[in-house]
Amino acid sequence: MNVHAVWAHPLLLAQVLRPRRDGRSEVALRVDALAEPRRALALEQAIRGLPGIERVAILPAARRLRVVWDARRLSLETLVERCAALHCPAQPLPHDDADDVRAAELHDALKRLLVAGMCMMQVMAYALVIYLGAVDFVDFTTRSLFRWLGFLTTVPVVAYSARPFFTGAAQELRERRLGIHLPVALAVALVFLASAFNTLRGAGEIYFDSVSMFVFLLLAARYVELRARHHGHAQGDAAIDAAPLLAQRMAADGTRETVPALALRAGDRVHVAEGATVPADGVLEADSARLDEALLTGESRPILRRRGERLVAGSVLLDGPLLLRVEHGGEATAVARIGALAARARAARSFAMASDRDIARFVARVLLLTALTALGWLLVDPARAFDAALAVLVVACPCAFALSAPAAFTRALSALARQGVLVTDSGALSRLAQVDTALFDKTGTLGVPRLELAGIEPLRGDSREEVLALATALARESSHPLARALADAAGRLAPPRRAERVEAVAGAGLRGAVAGRALRLGRADFALGHALIPERQRDALLLADAEGAIAVFRLVERPRHDAQATLDALRTDGITPCVASGDAPERVAALANTLGIADWRARQSPDDKLARLRELRAQGHVVLAVGDGSNDAPVLAGADVSAALASGTGLAQAQADLLLMDDRLDGLARARAVATEVQRIVAQGRRWSLVYNLCAVPFAAFGYVPPWLAGIGMSLSSLAVVLNALRAGRDGNGPRPELRA
Amino acid sequence: MNILLVLIPVTALVVIVGVALFFWAVNHQQFDDLDTPGILPLLDDPAPDATPAAAEDTTRKP
Repeated sequence: MNVHAVWAHPLLLAQVLRPRRDGRSEVALRVDALAEPRRALALEQAIRGLPGIERVAILPAARRLRVVWDARRLSLETLVERCAALHCPAQPLPHDDADDVRAAELHDALKRLLVAGMCMMQVMAYALVIYLGAVDFVDFTTRSLFRWLGFLTTVPVVAYSARPFFTGAAQELRERRLGIHLPVALAVALVFLASAFNTLRGAGEIYFDSVSMFVFLLLAARYVELRARHHGHAQGDAAIDAAPLLAQRMAADGTRETVPALALRAGDRVHVAEGATVPADGVLEADSARLDEALLTGESRPILRRRGERLVAGSVLLDGPLLLRVEHGGEATAVARIGALAARARAARSFAMASDRDIARFVARVLLLTALTALGWLLVDPARAFDAALAVLVVACPCAFALSAPAAFTRALSALARQGVLVTDSGALSRLAQVDTALFDKTGTLGVPRLELAGIEPLRGDSREEVLALATALARESSHPLARALADAAGRLAPPRRAERVEAVAGAGLRGAVAGRALRLGRADFALGHALIPERQRDALLLADAEGAIAVFRLVERPRHDAQATLDALRTDGITPCVASGDAPERVAALANTLGIADWRARQSPDDKLARLRELRAQGHVVLAVGDGSNDAPVLAGADVSAALASGTGLAQAQADLLLMDDRLDGLARARAVATEVQRIVAQGRRWSLVYNLCAVPFAAFGYVPPWLAGIGMSLSSLAVVLNALRAGRDGNGPRPELRA
Repeated sequence: MNILLVLIPVTALVVIVGVALFFWAVNHQQFDDLDTPGILPLLDDPAPDATPAAAEDTTRKP
């Protein structure tokens, strides 16, 4: 059977294909393999070689591939099949307009920036002629010609490039609030109009070079910030894209087939895997399941649903797998809702930069200073009021200040990405600098469980391989770290078998059937169904059937290799680590002692963890939560800053501000150091602008700063601040020294 | 100084042509991905077409 045949379904095609005006089609594919440049390139070249392909664009950060092609010459099915043949499984994504809006925004900003830059250079050349003319190079009429040229060249800068500031200002006026746009628009308009007036009357100073430079530098800062923001969005998208267009329908004979979620009909039975999104509204057919309905209700607490209760499409399964009987099928509503939820999750990642507010305040102060200067001169010598006020306005404009924060942030984000830390919410970086407590999950985060062959004890005379194969059949259905450790071990030792009707019981274990034999795998009291457990089996993983225990699995948990170093680094940085784990007290204590963590709690359900987090926050701590599994998702969503290991479940990743790649924790310490550094650099930029203004403004107010000096001062101070900001994220040890070992 | 009357329109023309070229490039997504092309020349060890072919062979054999 061809699993990709489902992509020929017309309902599904309507969802993912975007028809273009030229008759071609466009599709966005989610390809996880895009993270590796080598495979991404191989894939791109292979796709280019297919018939009818017009354009292939790779967005590595979003793990997305955009293909524009002629759907009459090549079906989507073939395209997806081709990707799978290259070991780069591709999942078509529902087309949404968010991407286009973002691309258009970025293109628009870049065009305005380019126009401002080109015109600025031109204006500067004309201004230079005038400045040189001041020392008698060119005669007087030529000088006035150059003033007019400067005026004409500045018009596109003010009318086209600076338009976002003016429209923003108009909007702020309507909403009656002081933002960044109003003061900037006022400053630009004042300087430009005053210079135009001086050009017209042929006397007084002109500041066309300063005003174009001001606009250019502000636009440059905004463009850099916008790019960083889109990059962060893209990484967030990669985690959110996991929402299904496909559902796993159970056929009458118990096999699963993959169908479009839209094609589900009432009465269909659907299999939902752990961490996956519920594809349609329906009735729960398992005993119980915990779901995260945060995207629907805003409540981050996991919700327990029992057999017969209704599940809503778009909620996420925390412990699974489960069976669902579809109630409403064949309508677009449920899937549309999932799409809307994903969009909302994206929008929720706010990137409001604190710097914008600071700049607005700064510019407002500059305007006040200008007004005071004008007032002062009007009292003393009205003739000089206009020129002096203009000089103050030009000199005090906070270009340097506006540039420093975006430059430092962008630089820090790219430096962290190179070290294996992806920041999906740049606001998290400034919050990370304030963190004083770190709440860790144990299994899978601080410790890595591993099963050795010697740790398997068959109790009824089966071979080790046999019992492992039975246990793995269940374990493969779960993404819990212990289950994964079993599956890993089985991958090395024994061929897997198929399990049916697997259900997970949170905090206890898994149950299901292999070849008709009911099995339970998990904590001893759960597996045996009673509490009379021999002492030496108490903390082991037990496999049992109706007649009793079959085998004991002893997993050894070692601290992750960089856990100790990371914790030490965090401690010296003033962060207190603590552990909240769902595991047994003895094992949590053992690991906590090894790592020197005094504050640990064992047997914590996701609810307990969330309560613990709220308790810490109520005590006034700023908390960083680190986890990997879907049971950590509520904690991650509720923490001030959250970090997830990229090997964890998709749900944990979707909630996290920071993603730690390559299974390494040390990125945390690095991220903290960079966050602190960025704060320091932004503060330096602010101080520098203040000192510069304190020195220069008095001279400008008394008319001692000619336009050329104002221009030089502005560019030099901007340059100094940007160069300073580029130090963010630089580190003396080189990138990730341990990796080379 | 009459040369200015020629040179100034020439510079204006250069700016207009430059802006037009940039606009064309932006509209054709030339600035959308600035990271991947930088890695391109460094990845030439296996011929890109050989990898998929080899991968397919191994999948077909069993």
